[in-house]
Amino acid sequence: MSTTFRPRTKREARAAMGRYGVVGKAVAEADDRFGLAKGGRVLLDKIFPDHWSFMLGEIALYSFVVLVATGIFLTLYFVPSTSQVIYHGVYKPLDGQRVSAAYASTVDLSFAVRFGLLMRQMHHWAADVFVGSIVVHMARVFFTGAFRKPRETNWVVGTTLLILAILNGFIGYSLPDDLVSGTGIRIGYSILLSIPIVGSYLATFLFGGNFPGNIIIPRFFIIHVLIIPLVILALIGVHLGLLVRQKHTQFPGKGRSERNVVGSPMFPNFAAKTTGFLFMIAGVLALMGALLQINPIWQFGQYEADKISYAVQPDWYMGWLDGALRVMPAWEWTGWGHTLPWEVFFPGVVFPGMVFTFVLAWPLFERWFTKDDGIHHLLDRPRDRPKRTAFGAAFFALLFVLFGASSTDVLANFFHVSLNATLWFFRIATFVVPVVVYAVTWLVCREMQTVPGIGRRKRAVVVERSVEGEYTAIPSEVRPGDEHVELEPVPVPVMIEPEPEPEPDRAGAPTGDRRGSRGVRRVLR
Amino acid sequence: MTDVRSGQPPGDGAAGAARPSVPVARLDDPHLQPAARHPRRVEGIVALSFLVGIVCFGGFGGAYWLNAKPWIIGTFFGAGLLALGFGLAAWGKYLMARGPFVEERHHLAGSAAERDAMAAALVQRTGAVVKRRRVLGGLFAAGAGLFGIVALFPLLRSLGPLPGKIFDVTNWRRGSRLVDSNGRPVHVDTLEVGGIMTVFPEGWQNTDEGQAVDQTVLIRVSTLDTVTRPGRETWGPQGYLAYSKVCTHAGCPVGLYEQQLQLLVCPCHQSMFDVLDGAVPRFGPAPRPLPQLPLRVDRSGYLRAQRGYGQPVGPGFFERTTT
Amino acid sequence: MTRLLKNRFALPAALLVAVGIGGLLSFATGAGAQGGQANISSGGGVGAGNFNSGVALPPGVGSPNYLGGPKNSGGANSSIRVYAKVDGRRVLVAYGDKDIIYKAPPASFIAAGEALFAQNCASCHGAQAEGSAIAPNLVGVGPATVDFWVSTGRMPATTTNTVQAERKPPRLDATQALEVAAWVNSLSPAVPYVPYPNLKGANVADGADLFALNCAACHTITGLGNALAYGTFAPSLHVATAREVAEAIRTGPANMPRFTGNLNDAQVRDIVAYVTDYIQHPTNIGGAGLGGVGPVAEGFVALLVGVGGLALVSYWIGDRA
Repeated sequence: MSTTFRPRTKREARAAMGRYGVVGKAVAEADDRFGLAKGGRVLLDKIFPDHWSFMLGEIALYSFVVLVATGIFLTLYFVPSTSQVIYHGVYKPLDGQRVSAAYASTVDLSFAVRFGLLMRQMHHWAADVFVGSIVVHMARVFFTGAFRKPRETNWVVGTTLLILAILNGFIGYSLPDDLVSGTGIRIGYSILLSIPIVGSYLATFLFGGNFPGNIIIPRFFIIHVLIIPLVILALIGVHLGLLVRQKHTQFPGKGRSERNVVGSPMFPNFAAKTTGFLFMIAGVLALMGALLQINPIWQFGQYEADKISYAVQPDWYMGWLDGALRVMPAWEWTGWGHTLPWEVFFPGVVFPGMVFTFVLAWPLFERWFTKDDGIHHLLDRPRDRPKRTAFGAAFFALLFVLFGASSTDVLANFFHVSLNATLWFFRIATFVVPVVVYAVTWLVCREMQTVPGIGRRKRAVVVERSVEGEYTAIPSEVRPGDEHVELEPVPVPVMIEPEPEPEPDRAGAPTGDRRGSRGVRRVLR
Repeated sequence: MTDVRSGQPPGDGAAGAARPSVPVARLDDPHLQPAARHPRRVEGIVALSFLVGIVCFGGFGGAYWLNAKPWIIGTFFGAGLLALGFGLAAWGKYLMARGPFVEERHHLAGSAAERDAMAAALVQRTGAVVKRRRVLGGLFAAGAGLFGIVALFPLLRSLGPLPGKIFDVTNWRRGSRLVDSNGRPVHVDTLEVGGIMTVFPEGWQNTDEGQAVDQTVLIRVSTLDTVTRPGRETWGPQGYLAYSKVCTHAGCPVGLYEQQLQLLVCPCHQSMFDVLDGAVPRFGPAPRPLPQLPLRVDRSGYLRAQRGYGQPVGPGFFERTTT
Repeated sequence: MTRLLKNRFALPAALLVAVGIGGLLSFATGAGAQGGQANISSGGGVGAGNFNSGVALPPGVGSPNYLGGPKNSGGANSSIRVYAKVDGRRVLVAYGDKDIIYKAPPASFIAAGEALFAQNCASCHGAQAEGSAIAPNLVGVGPATVDFWVSTGRMPATTTNTVQAERKPPRLDATQALEVAAWVNSLSPAVPYVPYPNLKGANVADGADLFALNCAACHTITGLGNALAYGTFAPSLHVATAREVAEAIRTGPANMPRFTGNLNDAQVRDIVAYVTDYIQHPTNIGGAGLGGVGPVAEGFVALLVGVGGLALVSYWIGDRA
């Protein structure tokens, strides 16, 4: 009972910390409250396959991070209003002009706000790259069959993310209220208007009346910065949550099966690589924003409904829709006091609806077609599924032809051919090219299947001619680097042998293999 | 290999008899070695790229402070991020344990019994409740369903006005004088043959509605009265023709006039309208001619509309009556 | 149809009445929530009250400010008029105002022009410029037209098989072009004369506005030009001189419309200044301009440099096995 309180010495405090010091203490405190030690350790050990094509989705994810960061900056300056102001600023050709507050604030953001132009251009490049990398990522998932059971839901979530990304890209592109994007909104209004029965209601509801009205920019703004980003964020959460829950797919290979995942652990390997990738993506986007001008709205001027520039195009991910509008013949049904404007309704509403429905439902189609209800974690090589691969290639070919058709005028000007002939070329190509691409891809896949040793690294062959004139082919010696020497995969060790304590006797030689221990030290830190 | 502090004998000592329940790796396990063949060199490269990153961020700060040109600030900024990221990725790729490591997939699906239990709970419990209280269940479903429907009304209907007749009418009236975007009225001497301008009904220039709906192209194709279609004998006094500038396809302004071909071309989707033939579309996706505005010259020599268009201008919509 | 749609709204609305919520009735009557809309555009903003100034002209008869043909529109009824005595006749040699002076080529050029015309032009246009099956009559087109076609190298044409003559290095130099113009004009003197715009004091902001309304539909807003119907095209404006731009506006070469009474000399001068300053030297503060072609070029760059480059990075970071 005679214990007296005395403060612990530093040494005692350190000893009380346990073997893992401050980190150990922090883990203990957190585990007491949240019980995260067990699950946290599982998370740190989570295995990510290393194949490069699995990182394409990360480009999209980190582009979104850049979009959010730069977008927040932009909201601090952008004025989402069509109220008229007189621009007085650096750019002479606008000085004294009556423009909308949205346009004026965007021009000011570009000229007068330090770092503003860079943020704007980064934001725009990031948007283009965001949609592009989603498409590329989806192509990878499609051609390798990663969408099959149990991952159909994630395919649907991903496709929805693509649709939202395209939609938000279009809306964001329209916000500055410049001549080029305003024309896009005008066409969008006409597309809404073309929908049978509800079209004129939707159009007047969304725009608060006839085009252009004065409410569409504020509405687009809140949709662009709040509503769609929130949905995207939630869906990204679902997307990644499902990925963690279902674990990653992998290509077949040494030690890989349907029952395991081979790769590197979340911490530290994957964490270092993916964080590095995040920085590199941000860096590339920043360099693009710094060196490549995008959407110089001051050169386009304020949008007014009676002004128009030739060769106006939407951003690339809307190009296929614009192309569809161009190649569509002038078919309009009239009768019974009504008009059904197929020439806008089909390419503007029905066709994209069909495309996205088709993409969303592809896993169902394929399952119905192949009768394959099994669970798949190992990926296909595209050549082993010639029909699917050919179908995907034809699908992309169709979209690419339509994308080309969205610049018939520019192409006609560039190649000095008649604009009318160019349009007819694309009208025909829309139907011919996908069929040709399907056939060619299918044949190429079949051909590749029959090539022995395809997909493996080629080894040099030495051809010798004997004195008699006989030729013999002799495979060369295996050189280091010819063969990728892969070890048998092992589980992530729970513990690594601790480093040997330094020998008290300095004269004595160290017991362990010096090189090995240094390597381990690097591993651990 | 003295003590691995796992409470288990070291793996190699037991020689497979009793494998450790937790895997313990030896220091010299090849899986733990760095992936790089020459780690020292990679270390140098990583250090260098981190240094480049540091220098770039310094440069970024300086350039920002001095308000340098945007591309200079941005290049420092981007290059710094790129260098930092490159170093980190290289560190992860070359200097950390090479692996490969493996992880078992746990079965997502539960056992048949677990599935049955879940389904049983759903079916039996709801069944028991609903069967006994059919009326309550029905009323609740009706209430929730109705709420679901009516909750959509304010979301849609409050957004804007009903369309009514807004797509059917323009502000062109009998006697509306043609003015340009600055409000200056158009005199019969204004254009020479081959000239084009955009006109509005007087008072509606420089308004949203005037620009979007009433915009009209005025073209002079001749010095003589010009008839573009039967029944339009008086519509083109002294060679002046006026057509709605709103494309009948997607609503873009048809501002592109080729005076030798006598075509109006829409810059958006290249519909081509024959100016001398009532602006009938000759090519492209536009389904209908541009409506023509009947003109007359008043006593002072100014151009005026005989009346309005008499039909909706612009793109098609469901309620558009055939004309 | 409207009735049917109203019914679609009326049906659930009637149900609501049954449930006892009457407030929503109003929306079928169209008395919606849009009352405040008209105010949005008038609220706030720098100088919001300003923007109509100069627009609201009294529309009265006798107002001199109508869009007249004669005055200030490239025709000869301008504030400055210079005459000379040629062969005892009083001949107009220059007209215009402080914004653009239109000058006839000097009479001394006529003799040289006749020889040049005979060598270079007469084979198609005829010895007296009367035109032929393959080339138009040039009598009475005015010196500006001749000067434009010759000084931009479009004439003499190398072939008659093209839909539209293209700009090329001129065969006749600037003086020779004026000499040909002088001779053609001597056959039947006509306006417009060759314009010399005075770009000092030009308002590029008005020029940009007028460019967007009148020029961009064909030449694009960045002045690159584009393909038009049936093989015709609008040329790029990036190489045109100030005088050529003014000549084209006033004379309407080939398929280009003529802008006369609807653009006065000050407005033409403003457009010329905008084209030669800002179209030809765009303010590319954001970096490389990517040719000013717009979103398609940007899309390619985004896909190749952005997505492609980053895919290469992931190819480096990831495994290839």
